[in-house]
Amino acid sequence: MLLALPVLPARAQSDAHAGVTAQHLTVRLLVPPAQLWPNQNFTAGLDFKMEDGWHVYWTNAGDSGEPPSIRWTLPAGVTAGPLQFPAPKRLPLGPLMDFGYEDEVVFPIPMEVAKDANLEAPLLGLSAHVTWLVCREVCIPGKADLVLWRQAVPPRPSLPANAQDQQLIQRFSALVPKPLPASDSVHFQSTAKGFTLDVQTGTKERSAQFFPLDETIVANAAPQPATPQSNGVQLALTKDQNLQSPPRQLNGVVELADGSAWVIHATPAALTTAKGFPSSPAVGLSGLASAVGFAFLGGILLNLMPCVFPVLFIKGLSLVQSSQQERAQLRAHGWVYTLGILVSFLSVVAVLLALRAAGRQLGWGFQFQSPIFLAAMAMLLFFLGLALAGQFEIGLSLTSAGGSLAQKHGYTGSFFTGVLAMVVATPCTAPFMGAAIGYALAHSAFVSFAIFTALGLGLALPYLALAYFPAWARILPKPGAWMEILKQAVAVPIFATVIWLVWVFTQIAGTNALIGLLGAFLLLAVAGWVLGRWPGKSSAAIAAAAVLIVAIAVQVWAVNTFGEQHTSTVALAVNADAPGAWQPYSPDYVAKQRAQGRAVFVDFTASWCLSCQVNERVILDSDAVKQQLQASGVALVRADWTNQDADITQALAALGRSGVPTYAIYPADPSAAPHVLPEVLTKSVVIDALNSLAASHQQSASLSRPTN
Amino acid sequence: MHRLSLAVFSAAMLVCTLSAPAQRVGDPAPNFTGTDSHGQTHKLSEYRGKYVVLEWTNSDCPFTKKHYASGNMQSLQKEWTSKGVIWLTVLSSAPGNDGYKTASEENAYLQQVHAAPTAVLLDPSGGIGHEYAAKTTPDMYVIDPSGKLIYSGAIDDRHTTELADVQGAKNYVSAALAESLAGQPVAVSYTRPYGCSVKYQGAD
Repeated sequence: MLLALPVLPARAQSDAHAGVTAQHLTVRLLVPPAQLWPNQNFTAGLDFKMEDGWHVYWTNAGDSGEPPSIRWTLPAGVTAGPLQFPAPKRLPLGPLMDFGYEDEVVFPIPMEVAKDANLEAPLLGLSAHVTWLVCREVCIPGKADLVLWRQAVPPRPSLPANAQDQQLIQRFSALVPKPLPASDSVHFQSTAKGFTLDVQTGTKERSAQFFPLDETIVANAAPQPATPQSNGVQLALTKDQNLQSPPRQLNGVVELADGSAWVIHATPAALTTAKGFPSSPAVGLSGLASAVGFAFLGGILLNLMPCVFPVLFIKGLSLVQSSQQERAQLRAHGWVYTLGILVSFLSVVAVLLALRAAGRQLGWGFQFQSPIFLAAMAMLLFFLGLALAGQFEIGLSLTSAGGSLAQKHGYTGSFFTGVLAMVVATPCTAPFMGAAIGYALAHSAFVSFAIFTALGLGLALPYLALAYFPAWARILPKPGAWMEILKQAVAVPIFATVIWLVWVFTQIAGTNALIGLLGAFLLLAVAGWVLGRWPGKSSAAIAAAAVLIVAIAVQVWAVNTFGEQHTSTVALAVNADAPGAWQPYSPDYVAKQRAQGRAVFVDFTASWCLSCQVNERVILDSDAVKQQLQASGVALVRADWTNQDADITQALAALGRSGVPTYAIYPADPSAAPHVLPEVLTKSVVIDALNSLAASHQQSASLSRPTN
Repeated sequence: MHRLSLAVFSAAMLVCTLSAPAQRVGDPAPNFTGTDSHGQTHKLSEYRGKYVVLEWTNSDCPFTKKHYASGNMQSLQKEWTSKGVIWLTVLSSAPGNDGYKTASEENAYLQQVHAAPTAVLLDPSGGIGHEYAAKTTPDMYVIDPSGKLIYSGAIDDRHTTELADVQGAKNYVSAALAESLAGQPVAVSYTRPYGCSVKYQGAD
C-alpha cells in the first residue's frame, strides 16, 4: 500500500526519474534550468496531477488530511527554500472541511546556488524525498524519491531553461498568497460566535474566503458570510469550539473575489470607528475639546430626561431641607453629589474598558443587557419606593432638617443620590451623548475618562449651581408638612420606573424568571415592614437584612434557573412576516437589500431604552411617517440590542455610535455612507431625510444616464 | 404574550436538544448509548467513576493502520485497561464507506490485530461521532471519573503514516491520563486531531 520507489541515478540530463505515477496521482519535480552555475537563483516546483475527485492538502489541511512534505539531498552550495503553497480551495466532506487542491497543483520552491559554490562534479544530482496524502473518500499516503541531474557550468549557461516547466511554475507562483500591501489593513474583533475579520483594501470587495494558517482557532467547516464594505469586505468567522480566549493574531490567507490571495496577520481592532465610514454630518465631532464640550452639554440635558427626573425630585427635596444650612455645608453636599456621579460613571467606564480589552462586544447601556443587573436595579428602586411611600424611614430622614443626624447621614445620602442619578441616567442617552460616548470608546482610556468626567460634571451642574447660589433656591417654599406629601408622591415615578425595569427584565430573562423577581419584591416588602414596625431596633435591622439576602438569593437563583435568552429578538422575528413590518437586523439582510437597489432604514433600539420606545411609538409609528416610509420604498430593519449582539455593536461602532437610540439610513448605493439621524426624532426630521434620500437617488440616476 | 413567550421558550429548548453542539474540553462529556461488536449495550453514564478513553477508528485508514501495524494502539489499550481505564473504540464509518464493518467482520479483525479495547462500539449512523464532532481517525477523547472531558484531539504529535514515527512521539492520551491520575491538570488538553476524515454517512 505504501509506495517506496527507490530511484537510482540515471543518465545525465534525463528527467526520467523526476516524476512517478503513484496511486491516483502523478508527482514530478520541476527544475527549469538545464544547467547550474554559481550565484544562480531559480524557482523549482513540485507538481501533483491528481485523478478526478482526488485532492492533496494545503499547509493547514483543515479538519483532516496532511500537507505534502519534501526533504532534499542537495550538492554543497545548493540550497532549497520551503514549499510555497498556492491559495487552496475549501473541500467540504460531510460535516468536515478540508483545505486543498484538486486536478493539478505546483508548489513553487525557491532555489539558490551560492556565489562561492564549488561545483566540481560535471553532473549534480538534486534529489528529494517527497511524501503526501491523497484523498477522495479514502486517503492514501504516498512517498517517492525523485532525482534530477543537472550539468554544472562555469559562470555562464550555454543551454536554455525548460520554458514549459518555467511557465507552469510561474502559473502557480502567481497563485501563492502575497503579503498584504502596506496600504491595506486587516483587523479582527471577537464576537460571541467567533470573529469578524475586516479586510480593507480601499475598494469594495464582493466576497472573500478566509483560510486559517493556525489550527484550532477557527471552525473550519462553518460558513463564512461576507459583507461587502465600501472599502473592503467583512467576514464573519466561527471560532473553534475549544478556543478559550481570543488569539493575539489571526493568521491566514484571504482570497478575494478576483482570485487574488493575501497572507494576513490580523490584529485585534482597537474598536475602530470603521474607517471608510466618514463620520456622518449629524455627528460632526472633530476633536477631544468638542467631544468633551458635547459630553458636558449632554450631561446637563440628562437632568431633563424622564428617567433622571425622579432623582432630581429627591435631590430637590434635600435642597429644600438644607436651604437653612450653612453655605459651606451646602457646597460640600453639592460636591459629594458630584463625586457620587463621577465615581459611579468612571467605575462603569473602567469595567467597560476592561471588558473591551478582554474582547467582549459591549457598548453603553450594556448593564441593561444583564438580567441580574436589571433585577438588582428593580429591587433597589422598589425598596426605595417603599421607603418614600412611608413604609419605613431610611437613614436619611428627609423631614428632620438641620440636626446632627441628618448632617452625618446627609453626605452619604448625597453621595448615593449621585450614584442613583447616574444609574437611572444610563439608558437615556440624551442628544449629543451617543456621539460623545461613541467617540470616547473609540479612543484611548484617557479620552474615555475625560469625556465621562465631562458628562458627569454636566449631570451634576444644576444641583452644584444651586449649592453655590442658594439665592436661587429661595424661590422654593419653606419646609413643612407638604414635604412629607411630596416625598410620598415621588414614590409614584419610582414605582413607574420599577414597572419599566420589570418589563425589560421579562424581555431578557423570560416570564419564568419573573416569578423569582416578584417573589423578591414580596420579601423586600416584608423587610420594609420589619424596619417600619420596629424602627431603630438593631434586631429588626438584622432580621430585615436577612430577608434582603434571601430576596437577592431567590432572584439570582431564579435568573440562573429560569433565565432565557433572546426572547425579544425571536418574538420580533416571528412578527416579521407582515408586509411593511420591521425585519430583524442582520448585516447580510442590509447588504442584500442594498445590493437590490433598496435603501435601508435601521432603527437601533433596545427595550430598556426609554427614548427608543418614545421615538418608535410617537414618531416612527405615526401615520405620517409610516406612509412616508412605505412610499419611499426603503427596507425597514430593527436592530434589537436588548440582549448583547456583536453584529449590532459593530454596526453601531461603524456609525461612530456606541449606544441606542441610533437611526441610520443606508443608501441603496453600497459605497455611499449611511446617514445618521439625530437621537431625538421628530416627524419632519424623518420625512426630510427620506425626501433628501429620494432626491439624491434621482440625482445620481440622472447623472449616470449620460455615461451609459 | 405569555403564551407566545412560552412557545418561543419551548421552541428554543427543542432547537437546543436537536442540534449537536461540539464538545468542549472542560465540559461534561455527552452521554451516549452504543452497541458493541458483541451486541452488548454500553452507556457512558455507567462508567461514571472511571476514566474513559474514546478512540475513533477506521481499519482502512493509513493513519489508524500506523498505530495498529506498529502495535502502538494495542499496547496503549492493554496498558490503560489494566489500570482500570475503560477504552471504547468507536467505528463511525457508514455502510459502504471506507472502514465499515459488520459485527462479525469487526470481531475477526480485532482478533487478527490482537486489539484489546474494553469494547468496540459500532456507530454506522454516526450518532456518537456527531455528538462528539469526531473529525479524524484516530481522534481521541479522555473523560475523567466525574464525566468531564479532559482531552480531545490527536493521539500523538507525529502527523504521519510512517510506522517508525510511533517511536519517540509524544502520546497525548497517555500524558492526559497520567497527569490526571496523579492529580495534576492536563497540560495539553486540546490538539488538532490528525488522520483520515471520519467516513460518516453522506461524507462521500
